[in-house]
Amino acid sequence: MSTPVTTSARGPVRGPAGSAEGSPAGTPVGTLTSYRAAWTNRGRGPWRPPYVLAAITVIYLLWSLLPVLIAVLFSFNSGRSRSVWQGFSMRWYTGDPNLSVLHDAGLRTALGHTLLLGVLTTLVAVPLGVAFALGLDRWHGRLPTTANVAVVLSFVIPEIVLAAGLLFMITQLQVPFQLGTTAQVVGLVTFQISYPVVIVRARLLTIGKHYEEAARDLGASPLQALRRVLLPMLKPAVFASAVLVFADVIDNFVLVRYLSASSQTETTSMKIYNTARAAPTPALNALASLMLLASLAAVLIGWLAYRRFTRGEKETTGIADFAQL
Amino acid sequence: MKKWLRSRFRSGRSDLFGVLLSLPAIVWLAIFFVVPGYVLLAIAFGTVDPIFRAPLPAWSPLDWTFGSFSFVFTHLWGGTDAFFGPAVLRTVGFVAAAMVLCLLIAFPVAYFVARHAGRWRGLVLALLVAPFWISYMMRMLAWVNLLQTDGLANRALSLGGLLPVQVDWLAGRSSTVILGLVYGYVPYMVLPLYAALDRISPSMIEAARDLGAGRTEVFRRVILPMSLPGVAAGLILVTLPMTGDYFTNDLLSGSPRTSMVGNLINEAISTPGQAGQAGALVSLLILGLLVPMLLYVRSTLRGQDVRS
Amino acid sequence: MVHDRAARSTGPAEPTGRGPSRRSVLRYSALAAALGPAALASCARDQPLGARPGASASPLKIASPTNPVIWPIATDNKPIAAGLAPEQNATLQLYNYADYIAPDALKSFEKKYKKYNVKVKVSTFNDASEALAKIRGGSVPFDIYFPSYDAIGKLATTGLVRPLTHDYLPGITNVWPEFQNPFYDSGWRYSIPFMVYTTGIAWRTDKVSENIGARPNPWNVFWDRKYAGKMSVLDDYRETISMALLYAGDSDVNTSNQVALDKVQADLLTMTRTSHPTVTINAYSDLPGGRFNISHCWSGDAVNMPYYLPKGGDPGILRYWFPEDGRGLVNNDLAVLLRSGQNPVLAHLFLEHLLDPAVALANLSATGYQPPQNTMTAEKLIADEYIPANLKTAAVLPGAFEIGFRTLELAPETDARWQAVWQRFKAGA
Repeated sequence: MSTPVTTSARGPVRGPAGSAEGSPAGTPVGTLTSYRAAWTNRGRGPWRPPYVLAAITVIYLLWSLLPVLIAVLFSFNSGRSRSVWQGFSMRWYTGDPNLSVLHDAGLRTALGHTLLLGVLTTLVAVPLGVAFALGLDRWHGRLPTTANVAVVLSFVIPEIVLAAGLLFMITQLQVPFQLGTTAQVVGLVTFQISYPVVIVRARLLTIGKHYEEAARDLGASPLQALRRVLLPMLKPAVFASAVLVFADVIDNFVLVRYLSASSQTETTSMKIYNTARAAPTPALNALASLMLLASLAAVLIGWLAYRRFTRGEKETTGIADFAQL
Repeated sequence: MKKWLRSRFRSGRSDLFGVLLSLPAIVWLAIFFVVPGYVLLAIAFGTVDPIFRAPLPAWSPLDWTFGSFSFVFTHLWGGTDAFFGPAVLRTVGFVAAAMVLCLLIAFPVAYFVARHAGRWRGLVLALLVAPFWISYMMRMLAWVNLLQTDGLANRALSLGGLLPVQVDWLAGRSSTVILGLVYGYVPYMVLPLYAALDRISPSMIEAARDLGAGRTEVFRRVILPMSLPGVAAGLILVTLPMTGDYFTNDLLSGSPRTSMVGNLINEAISTPGQAGQAGALVSLLILGLLVPMLLYVRSTLRGQDVRS
Repeated sequence: MVHDRAARSTGPAEPTGRGPSRRSVLRYSALAAALGPAALASCARDQPLGARPGASASPLKIASPTNPVIWPIATDNKPIAAGLAPEQNATLQLYNYADYIAPDALKSFEKKYKKYNVKVKVSTFNDASEALAKIRGGSVPFDIYFPSYDAIGKLATTGLVRPLTHDYLPGITNVWPEFQNPFYDSGWRYSIPFMVYTTGIAWRTDKVSENIGARPNPWNVFWDRKYAGKMSVLDDYRETISMALLYAGDSDVNTSNQVALDKVQADLLTMTRTSHPTVTINAYSDLPGGRFNISHCWSGDAVNMPYYLPKGGDPGILRYWFPEDGRGLVNNDLAVLLRSGQNPVLAHLFLEHLLDPAVALANLSATGYQPPQNTMTAEKLIADEYIPANLKTAAVLPGAFEIGFRTLELAPETDARWQAVWQRFKAGA
């Protein structure tokens, strides 16, 4: 859509693909002519602009995001209703002395606990996963391969299976912890460990073995080569996986619900689920909006860090690559 | 001992360092992934205590009883007694319908972003990825709100009161549940599809064009076959978690008419005396999903090998 | 030698990276199968809290109005001494249904005992079996639990509850006298009453033109296709199965008769097929909210409904029906002390707080449910507009207990059959 189309009755014409494969050079007049030609020829030829696809994409994005925007909007409602707009107010965030997120201990606890779980899980899962990915690169055998299979399986297994298994394990076996925060972190780490492993492995394969071998040739021990050569190169992948794990954990529902104990170990997703079926006020929307803010902040930090870390690299560092990780 | 260690871990093949690095994760998975699986089996093959009817797991395979499994099997098919069967069928139906809809929605979108987005690509991708970071519960909550009898959905459909449209979306409709599943899981399909379509090099398409293929032919004979692995991966990534989903049904329909297998498992876990059935159902669920799971594992491992 | 063997061992076994070979899988799994279960069995937890050796051998005593039961006090579970000082800096943990206690009741307790720096926290459960499972698991030492008396036998026999020290609870005289010697807990050794309620049908007259209560068999409205998709029944297996029993004309709501249960099963299936009601305990907010027009609900739910009407809604449209001859379900909830609680003195003081008429009134206005206080007679409540006049049928009279049907505890085997009926219903088949 950004590349002009040359007028030619025969032969292929350049398409509006994402890659800019060279636009017809020319004088400004020539360019104007080609734009006009593009407009005149817009309906013809196999490379016509994809109106239908563009429309579908726009409609999809609206359908996907509009409900959430409406929910966020109503968190600023001044009345109790969640579907009838009654004016703007910060009542449900800080104003209302009983029901706002600031004053309702239950909502506040849920918010705090969710963030706590996110941080704890990230701190455990990312090192475990990164170490495993690094080790998998070096240690070839049946045991690590089986473990790799287990990691990939944990990515696709329905969550309720893992949650049920862990619940029964904790209540039936003499593990040194009970249901509650520890149990939730354990379950979440097990569920999320596949993210760092997959991402770091992919990155390792892209990096290749030359740098590490060069360092070893120059006399570094394996540990030194790892610490001073490989890990810095892996920083973007580690960061990306940390962000993904954090964002996924604060959204988790099934695991944290099965492994929770008292109301102190409730998360925002549980709170929304429990309250949505009863009598929710816009404070629930406020809680969810705050959670959204936390996720976006985490992603923003991750993306900025990613850009900073890959500043010197040749490959482009657009959102596209970040999303592809 | 040292000789054995050195012989085991000759450099070039294996690495003591590699062992040390991977061991924590392996131990973790052994304890928190493998053991819970066995506990589920032990409970599925176990019994219950007489007063509270809490599960009594049978640890040794010699003590295994088949009460729970036989209960599930006898109530699976055939006759008025079968109630697990309809729920399983319903789940398969919902998931299949949701899968098709997801594909129909995700493919055009992914195709557009991969091939035609141009300078908007970054922005559109960011917007596509956004649902991942919005709580699933919040997205469902937003929909529950819109689908109330006096909510925005009905108001929009009736064009602000002009047409007498008053649909009870939340009254136990299968369509609402299917649409809810689609809404929740379609972002998980767009990204793998996008990645697969993006990998198709433009020169392939140009070559096809040069050889005289028309627009649909290019799509049918070049793009579609090359994107199939990505489509398969996306399908598996979406349908497997969807099969165990129970909360979408709980939020969007309180009626037993739309119960899925996940609901059955969820109810059985907390009901006294039915934990064994929950274990049996979970085992059957895994068995049913075994083939796609193994396919996914194999393709992922092969992909990792090929790249190295 | 060793080196050679090792060097050759990585030979033709299998190409590395391709996963375990069949032989090694067999080898490893044989090893795991031999050692694993033994290891796990030795790691198994001791019997969960409350299962006493030998307790499973004796059958559960089932209490009923014609068969009152005195629960024994075990030697290792004696009530605490009187006159002890309350625990300092403690957090009192309550375990209750959602929205079933007034936030003001908690705050006023914290204020009353501010010098002990006490905090009160409420954790909620969705249904009683889930609650019981969590209590037995012992993950959180809850101090006070609010069960119904169909669980008291299990709780008392297995030592999960702490006997009460009556010296801390002079307020027992504030509640109806029969609760000082209820059939389910003679001598009120373990429990005080919390709320009394009936189960009936609520509807809104702006959407439903007929008077449901005027039908010969009002329960059959839930099988009426006319209101399909706009009705709800309670998400509680005892309540809904009892409702189906009453619909069929059977008044034994604690039946172990398999024929009756089979009829219930068939009726519930018909109900799902004709009118497919939603199964929920949230009718108190969803009926005024517009999602339902007719709901199977508790009396407290009905009293609570005006609060959830949208702005400008007229509370006069709400109605509640309970059988005029009193032959419907009448029950009460209890408050008990859990043995795992860490603050027994404070827990006693909280129970005394609940027995206070002012606090009871606060609970009524916040939850809609009626504590059985002597000063809170039905006439007074209606006159003071705690219960709207159009919902006066939701007030519970002391005499109701004598005619009404109680939801008694079921023997485990009967309970299993009731649960099976419920499971089938919830599976949508």
